[in-house]
Amino acid sequence: MQVKTRQFNTAAEEAIQDEKVQANLLGLYGGFHQARLDASAATTDWAALQERGRAIKAHTIANLDVYLRMAEENVRKAGGKVFFARDSEEATRYVTELAKAKAVKTVVKSKSMVSEEMGLNEALESVGVESVETDLGEYIIQLAGEAPFHIIAPAIHKSREDVAELFEDKLDTPYNPDIDALAQEARRQLREKFIAADMGVTGANFIVAETGTLVLVTNEGNGRMCTSMPRIHVAITGMEKVVPSIEDMGIMLRLLIRSATGQRISSYVTAVTGPRKADDEDGPEEFHLVIVDNGRSRLLADPDLREALYCLRCGACLNACPVYRKVGGHSYGWVYPGPIGAIVSPMLTNLSDAKDLPYASSLCGACKEACPVKINLPRMLLYLRHQLAEGDKYPQHRTSTGKERLAMKAWRVASSNPVAMGIAGSVGRALQPLAGKVGGAKSPIGAWTRHRALPKIAARPFRKRWKA
Amino acid sequence: MKTDDFLSGISRSLGRDGAPEITPDSATHLALNARQALSRARAVERDITERADELLAEMEVSAAEANWHVFRAGSRREAAEYIRRVAQDMEARTMLRSTHSALNALDLEGEMYGTGISLEVMALDDDEEGEARETMRADFREKVIAADIGITGVDYAIAETGSAVLLPRKGVSRVVSLVPPVHIAVVESGQVLPSLDELFTLRRQDFLDGNLGSYMNLISGPSRSADIEYQLVTGVHGPGEVHMVLVG
Repeated sequence: MQVKTRQFNTAAEEAIQDEKVQANLLGLYGGFHQARLDASAATTDWAALQERGRAIKAHTIANLDVYLRMAEENVRKAGGKVFFARDSEEATRYVTELAKAKAVKTVVKSKSMVSEEMGLNEALESVGVESVETDLGEYIIQLAGEAPFHIIAPAIHKSREDVAELFEDKLDTPYNPDIDALAQEARRQLREKFIAADMGVTGANFIVAETGTLVLVTNEGNGRMCTSMPRIHVAITGMEKVVPSIEDMGIMLRLLIRSATGQRISSYVTAVTGPRKADDEDGPEEFHLVIVDNGRSRLLADPDLREALYCLRCGACLNACPVYRKVGGHSYGWVYPGPIGAIVSPMLTNLSDAKDLPYASSLCGACKEACPVKINLPRMLLYLRHQLAEGDKYPQHRTSTGKERLAMKAWRVASSNPVAMGIAGSVGRALQPLAGKVGGAKSPIGAWTRHRALPKIAARPFRKRWKA
Repeated sequence: MKTDDFLSGISRSLGRDGAPEITPDSATHLALNARQALSRARAVERDITERADELLAEMEVSAAEANWHVFRAGSRREAAEYIRRVAQDMEARTMLRSTHSALNALDLEGEMYGTGISLEVMALDDDEEGEARETMRADFREKVIAADIGITGVDYAIAETGSAVLLPRKGVSRVVSLVPPVHIAVVESGQVLPSLDELFTLRRQDFLDGNLGSYMNLISGPSRSADIEYQLVTGVHGPGEVHMVLVG
């Protein structure tokens, strides 16, 4: 997917000015956000569940090499194939070449954020394979040629009228802004595709290492369709989705689903272990699992960012975030919006281009509060700001000049030492009459003084008065 | 990318030379050994038999909360009659069913006799092999796409979430509960588990016994979407109408 993270400020401005987008965003707080609060309050020992979920993820990610190996072996034992992809190009090539080799004409897709990273639909179309999103929200944004606006509600920025116009325009159906009628129209259109499709592509909510099982959570049933009807099933997932034991799934499913939609459980939880067996009545003949890195190693290798890989992609931090709820999903410029997106997108794409994302937060902490596995998002946002300003972990992405860093260093020395502070104060008092010239718009500190005046430095510093 | 290269890259990112032998952390259930797993599974089995009545009553409540139409049948006869009425009320023409023993025991064929509504068992014939078997698969696929109602038993039901659990068995299609617009699930006393945890405890034991199977479906109410303006609609891809018949 095209990276537009550099346009954050202008895109955010546009979203804030767009009354329709603002109206549609309003529902998030009373909707998903409130539903999550209600669901977690209704769950016995929610806090203990969070701790256990976090401990499972922490242990798994700290031993990701061990558990990925285990997952790979067990998928293979179940008759499936596993392909590890370094980046989205490798993953895309594997899927498109498989489609060509198996003479696939139509692909039905269930929601997969990793496939958005890959731009898989376009890649399949470019080799002559029809690729159709089947989640209602994803279907809408595919028809509109847009990116997902929200991790679990991709088309939430569109009103029923928008969708009705879109269907009229792209599907040639009569304009009807009734939501039930729109959903039924999508069912009719997509039923044909499910029947015709040779290949089903899905994401994965979890990969169970012990059993080689893929776990998928959907409400519409498109995930089940994609894993049952076509003769080939390809699952594409980020490498962080692995969980050690099938018995851990009770904890993980509760945390994910209750945080995502506030439901006790989604309509369908589907676990797939390999292709169909000889005795099975039906199901796909082939099962492929594509496990993708695409920059996740950078999160893994940095101990300060590693916990971003605990993310379950529930979307709770988006709904909780006062910034996301104003600027919306498209402003973030890549696949993952909101507080988690402000950490993941820069690290998976390019930190310099995405330098505005870590600042798209008031650091109020609502995201951390909402996170089912208690990811400390504000800490990581601050860390990235620090790295962009003066850190040494990613020097090629630093945004500050040598002069700025020197000035800040001088401030650090001056402010932590009384003698230096006294000298700096005297120098400042002596130079203050010149400040009008120093603070001019074209001066080095022009950006600081354009909208504010330097306060007059007191004749007698506070330190001296305190002593007296 | 080669698996070994990929995995050694992950080891390097973790700051080590290779994947070590590890003892699973007590955070994960993987830390439980086979003997512990077995005794836990046995305890679950005992518990759901002993508490069958209580759990069935809980199921009645949670299934309704998950938007199943719930019918508590006092007898198999009542269950069969309920299914006939559902079919007649919606003017169904064709029904398909699995071979779950709960259904075999209902004599649905007898109940439907004379109603003009066809009822067929969707199960491959063991005598058919190779080409003939594939033809039969294709034939069933056509039938399930055209069917008005799909009827199944369940392997388990889950009181916590109002879910029906379906596992691959002979005579149980993945799609008979998915593709027709109406699904009816028949749950018998003794099949209800308290929560997701007990389900996964039993499934871990199935895995250790080599009986995990190729899939598991948890079905918890009708197909739903709130993708347009958060407004809940049902029947987007799966069945829009689902019935759970509790027998016992």
